Amino acid sequence: MDKNKTMRIIYGDGTLGLTGSRFHYQFSYESGSLESMKIDGKEWLYRPIYPTYWRATTDNDRGNGFSYRSAQWLGADMFPRCIDIDLEVDGTHVDQLPTAPYNNHFSNHEQVSEVGMTFSYQTATTPAAQTIVKYTVTADGQIKVQAYFGGRKGLPELPLFGLRMIMPTAADKFAYDGLSGETYPDRMAGGVPGHYEVEGMPLTPYLVPQEMGMHMQTTNLTISRHHTLNNADHASTPFCLQVTEDSQPFNFSLLPYTSEELENATHIEELPPLRRSVLVIAGAVRGVGGIDSWGSDVDPAFHVSAEDDHQFSFIIQPAPVD
Amino acid sequence: MKAQLAWLDDPETFRVNQLPAHSDHHWYRNEQEMRSGQSSFYQSLDGEWQFKYVSDPTKLPDHFYRPESDHSDYGSIKVPSMIELHNDAQIQYINTLYPWEGHQYRRPAGTYDDQEQAGSFSQAADNSVGLYCRHFDLAAGLVDHRVRIQFAGVERAFYLWLNGEFVGYAEDSFTPSEFDLTPYLHEKDNFIAVAVFKHSTASYLEDQDMFRFSGIFRSVTLMAQPAVHVEDLTIKPQLASDNHTGIFNLNVNLVGDAFSEATITVNDAAGKQLLQKTHPSTEEVKVVDERLDQVHPWSNDDPYLYQLLITLRDDEGRVVEVVPYSFGFRRVAISKDHVLQLNGQRLIIKGVNRHEWDCRTGRCISQADMDFDIQTFKKNHINAVRTCHYADRLDWYSRCDRAGIYVMAENNLESHGSWQKMGRVEPSYNVPGSLTQWKAAVVDRARTNYETLKNHTSILFWSLGNESYAGDDLVAMQEFYQKKDPDRLVHYEGVCQRPSYRDRLSDFESRMYLPPKNVEKYLQNHLDKPFIECEYMHSMGNSVGGMGDYIALVQKYPQDCGGFIWDYIDQALLVHDPVTGKDVLRYGGDFDDRHTDGAFCGDGLMFANRTEKPAMQEVRYYYGQE
Repeated sequence: MDKNKTMRIIYGDGTLGLTGSRFHYQFSYESGSLESMKIDGKEWLYRPIYPTYWRATTDNDRGNGFSYRSAQWLGADMFPRCIDIDLEVDGTHVDQLPTAPYNNHFSNHEQVSEVGMTFSYQTATTPAAQTIVKYTVTADGQIKVQAYFGGRKGLPELPLFGLRMIMPTAADKFAYDGLSGETYPDRMAGGVPGHYEVEGMPLTPYLVPQEMGMHMQTTNLTISRHHTLNNADHASTPFCLQVTEDSQPFNFSLLPYTSEELENATHIEELPPLRRSVLVIAGAVRGVGGIDSWGSDVDPAFHVSAEDDHQFSFIIQPAPVD
Repeated sequence: MKAQLAWLDDPETFRVNQLPAHSDHHWYRNEQEMRSGQSSFYQSLDGEWQFKYVSDPTKLPDHFYRPESDHSDYGSIKVPSMIELHNDAQIQYINTLYPWEGHQYRRPAGTYDDQEQAGSFSQAADNSVGLYCRHFDLAAGLVDHRVRIQFAGVERAFYLWLNGEFVGYAEDSFTPSEFDLTPYLHEKDNFIAVAVFKHSTASYLEDQDMFRFSGIFRSVTLMAQPAVHVEDLTIKPQLASDNHTGIFNLNVNLVGDAFSEATITVNDAAGKQLLQKTHPSTEEVKVVDERLDQVHPWSNDDPYLYQLLITLRDDEGRVVEVVPYSFGFRRVAISKDHVLQLNGQRLIIKGVNRHEWDCRTGRCISQADMDFDIQTFKKNHINAVRTCHYADRLDWYSRCDRAGIYVMAENNLESHGSWQKMGRVEPSYNVPGSLTQWKAAVVDRARTNYETLKNHTSILFWSLGNESYAGDDLVAMQEFYQKKDPDRLVHYEGVCQRPSYRDRLSDFESRMYLPPKNVEKYLQNHLDKPFIECEYMHSMGNSVGGMGDYIALVQKYPQDCGGFIWDYIDQALLVHDPVTGKDVLRYGGDFDDRHTDGAFCGDGLMFANRTEKPAMQEVRYYYGQE
């Protein structure tokens, strides 16, 4: 095998590790997700990546009862459950997941060129739906992420369907190619396409904290941080993560808080001290509406039905070194 | 005359000894003063006043208005400001229900409990009083003249004394109240005293969706008048249908006793004189149907203003008073096929509703706030403003004249607490309705609004008020405007609640928050008035989605005039938070105020600190389209 086109795979007892020249990724069988994403020695995950379904209630959502009707998705957002894990190595399906003891025949110098890890989640809703997330890792450290939501009849509309990545420390800045400002499917005509650089992770200071900061139609996103939680890491030089579109532009928000943290606050000053970065890559975003704040619904064209299937994909990769 | 607290309980007593409303022109001693903008006829009484807060009228001290009374326990307050932000009275935000909801049981005069009116405000536990007083000497420029005092805005009812003598009483918080002080005035050491009541029967008419404040919240000014004085002027600049012939009409009312000569000049913006007329002064000077060729029409794109100058001379030919006024030629009309037009072209209203707001000082706003707002309008292609739901500071309208902002000048009237309860129409004690007791008060509001603001070119529409249901009293307001000012249009939305008044109220079919689907239904089916949304796109929190649907209708139907987004700026107050040590924005309920409508005060395209909400770029985009 060509060493430049392969990466080392570590068949752990509870995890599956992948190591290349600039990265180390680790999937956890127990948490049912990608639990570590280290690029150039810097960790990008504070908690495993899970699907996200909830947006902090907007004033319009409250007024028209959307949050009440769709409250199940808050529970689904907070309490993910992985029910199945599937592994492909170099294009071949691995029938028996190589957890202990099925990993005992491997060595410390296994090499592969491509690994596909698929996690299936059941939502805490009635009826339950399934979300499937597949990570395809290649030897250059690129991770293609594909997420699929299988609609179920009888489920209330989704506030959002996306993946949430919580990073260990706060981002210093981010840059993206997409639309100016904060945009939503029904409020993006005024978004001017361009390259934008944003300092910190600014909150939109709505009087009552609520869903905010969405960026629609993005092709490229680079997030920059300068410190980690690793006590042995004394460097403070900035380091970056890059997210790029796969077949379609993606939507994202990068905020210091989860939708639940935002949901709980009655004022912006009640939000916890700024510690982490919460990246949501959203495949499906509900519109915000605007006719009134006491009953009118968002235009049906901008609803996200949970009775329909939804899918999206994007690519994470080590940012190019300057 | 003796001041009577019972006036607070009587809707038919709303002005006592007030001077009649008149044009908001400024006057100067000479042209040099005029150019500097500083009139030596004026003396500001803004600044620190002695102040005592009294929780209700039953606790009022005796004779506080007398200079010899003991005021040693008085603190001080800045004029202008809001009493609540001085942290004496509790801050409260409430929308439709009256601010006394759950605390006082009241019914307006003429509905129920007519026996219970006496004391309903004048003895009420929720009617806090601000006692203001100060000493002043007359500035040199005012000595030996008739002197009036102007209160530009006082919420919500006040009594005025000078040197121990009762001068007058006023309601209608948002228009100027003027009183002649001459009979009581000394050159030195005058003692002025004002008792400001938070409530009176006017509270039924001023139930605007806003923080409920009280106090002297706009400037107080002494104004001297020379021996001959322009008391009122009415400019009627009409633009003929050819769009370049101007028909100029002017009516000047003079007061005084040294009549000699009045010179009227009109210059264009470059200073070229277009008209000069000299009249021997009588009490009235008129210019009738003076034709001016090749006038430059006024519009949003090109707010071209002409300069009127009235110069009064005494019998020795000396200049006694100069009065400038800027005006434009424009023509607003509704075409035969119900299309709103300005200067013969279809006019699309790309508007916002604007409360006067500053997060530090409430409804006491600054020049800088107003300048900023005009700049924000221009930057975001906002071409129109509805002064919700009261008359703004006078210098706002001048700014709109200069910037070409189309103004819907709304009366200080909103009574939704009397007919809209828990989101339902429930008009069992609606005021003003068709009640005779309330008619004079509301017509007076229409008159004051008209007489004060009539010369502002930017005002295209009068609005009777907001959400005040419909009845004969509103019809009387409409008729007042139609009679006085046939060159402008009259707007009123609330008539949609009572279709039987539809023929007598409003030149527009006006709605608020009507979804695009229903707007289109009107435009397809019932077209007999131009359609306007006086409030749409409720910008509360993260909102303003779907604006394109409204804009598509405006583009499709010429009878769709567009509308006014609700609203321009969040109402929230900057408060020091001891927990975080930061200054933070607070909303209804954050002051233990109950009943309250919480964060419903935050519906702006701007945050309360005048930074743009993200939605503004959407407005900029759609309002920027032709």
